[in-house]
Amino acid sequence: MEKTINRRDFIKTTTATTAGVATLATGITLTTFVNANENPVTNEKRWGMLIDTNRLTETDIDGMVSACQNEHGWGSDKLSTGDQKASWIKKLKVKDTATGRISNLALMCQHCEEPPCVDVCPTNASMKREDGIVLVDKHLCIGCRYCMMACPYEARSFVHEELTDQKEHMPRGKGTVESCTMCVHKVDKGEQPACVASVNSDAVIFGDLYDSSSKINQTLKKVQSTQIRADLNLNTAVRYSGI
Amino acid sequence: MNRWIILFFSLIMTGAFAHGQKTHSLGDEAHSIRDSGKTYHESISVIRKMHPEFLNHKRDKTLREGVRTEEYSLKGCVTCHATKKDNSNDYHSVNSEGQFCSTCHKKVATSMDCFSCHRTTPAQGAK
Repeated sequence: MEKTINRRDFIKTTTATTAGVATLATGITLTTFVNANENPVTNEKRWGMLIDTNRLTETDIDGMVSACQNEHGWGSDKLSTGDQKASWIKKLKVKDTATGRISNLALMCQHCEEPPCVDVCPTNASMKREDGIVLVDKHLCIGCRYCMMACPYEARSFVHEELTDQKEHMPRGKGTVESCTMCVHKVDKGEQPACVASVNSDAVIFGDLYDSSSKINQTLKKVQSTQIRADLNLNTAVRYSGI
Repeated sequence: MNRWIILFFSLIMTGAFAHGQKTHSLGDEAHSIRDSGKTYHESISVIRKMHPEFLNHKRDKTLREGVRTEEYSLKGCVTCHATKKDNSNDYHSVNSEGQFCSTCHKKVATSMDCFSCHRTTPAQGAK
């Protein structure tokens, strides 16, 4: 027996199904937006930092270095010597040879838009997140250290010894390359990187470079700032003023 | 006939006791969840078989895309499945002999590399 369906019945069933799907879909949408960390990061943001070298004192820089060490647990490697020691952020003195003026810099991974470390990595371990943070995926890192050679800022280090008791949020291990993560675990929670939080003044500003209402965006519009090795056209996310 | 029934039951009981003894390394937090009658994992057989895939998938989501949910995070595994040392506030490493990870991994002869980088105990201040 063939079942025939008339126009009225067809409309009834279709409406009921549509209403059902709509109710379900609303539920799904609601839960998706509850927690921002459930969604992948996008390129609508680009995290960056502005360091004012005129206001940043040497003590501030030492504070930044130790804040980074405490946050990530590097700097107490027992067996590594000299160049082998981890150094995610370092104090640097630069001297203008013409005038003799000395400035102090805090130098870390500059989180380039065109990172040379990512270009040379044979395993895709060196990577840039959508929001501009450059990281090492240690699951894929084979420890070849090409990225350390490619980086013009010498921002990366290699772990030479077995480690235990790492920080819960910062896995570190022998045979992999590591560098400043811009405290990605804190940034994802809406917090500031540890080094930025350790400076009491506005000498270091962290924020979204693309957001025209953010402090870093507005300051960059006003003050003269520079990228280190701007000639390389890497478009760094860490900018300096006063040098 | 009776002899067969006795043999059959003793085999079943041995199996049950053997299973019961294995769970001593389940971990403090996981034990209390189980004792309270709740379940954390949807299905024990699925998590037993599929946890490498879940962890591999989650690590890429977290590291590369910034998705920091609790489900299938290695940090979460360690927090629940670590056991405290006797008369101490310190934990046994979750991959050390007789502890949660190593019990099965040893039996099936896999040597995983998770814990040459990842922390093997819950962080200080964690539950």
